[in-house]
Amino acid sequence: MDVIVRDLEGTPLLESRGDIDHSVCRSVEAALREAIARGNDIVLIDLRLVPYIDSGGLSVLLSGVRMLRERGWLGVIGPNANVRRLLEIVGLLVDPDFRLFEDIEEAKTAMRQPVAT
Amino acid sequence: MTEPANHGCQRFIRVKAETARLAEIRHFVEQVALEAALGVERVFDLKVAVSEACANAIEHTGRDEVPLEVCARLNAHRLTFVVSDTGLFRPPAPPREGANYRGLGLPLMVALMDEVSFVRIPGGGTAVSLSVLLDSASP
Repeated sequence: MDVIVRDLEGTPLLESRGDIDHSVCRSVEAALREAIARGNDIVLIDLRLVPYIDSGGLSVLLSGVRMLRERGWLGVIGPNANVRRLLEIVGLLVDPDFRLFEDIEEAKTAMRQPVAT
Repeated sequence: MTEPANHGCQRFIRVKAETARLAEIRHFVEQVALEAALGVERVFDLKVAVSEACANAIEHTGRDEVPLEVCARLNAHRLTFVVSDTGLFRPPAPPREGANYRGLGLPLMVALMDEVSFVRIPGGGTAVSLSVLLDSASP
């Protein structure tokens, strides 16, 4: 699966389409690692076109949060209700370095705030 | 070849044990679960749980070229999917560098299903049963 990396006001926005399962999670992880390796403290993942995610994809999100810990945060945009439920089950929704946005505009607003220290 | 875990199957899918086939298995689960008139949430739960069990099975059977089998059983009270493999169930591998893709699978199955059981198949292999109780279908 291709992960498209866009730029949202200087922040990388990873856009992936389709199910993020064990067969494709490594390509998402590679894009995420590359974005973090470039020195970005905030990375966004667009989940609006992701109908399904499983532990493969969830692990990638968790590792992204770990890598950005004490530097910034990982944000996801527009997960459907079922995907959101899984984010909650694995504890991401209460992680201080993970953020969930309904849409792009909400993410843009959050990025304009300085990272709390 | 004896297949005790498949006894009483109403629906059955057998695919090559590779992660590229997980989407096909989820499609099978979705069809069966929708026919059983489950709500969208429970259908999703089953897709995740079965897909996780299959990902585990694929990891266990590895390069053996042994097909992965998923069987569905429906009665008045429950819908059950049984995932059988010929490997041994092992606890998740400790995290390596980067993401540990497998560690969350079992907790997710337990969180999403009403019943989860693991059975050693005589002669080798493991069967994972994943059930939703139909009475507890979405409120």
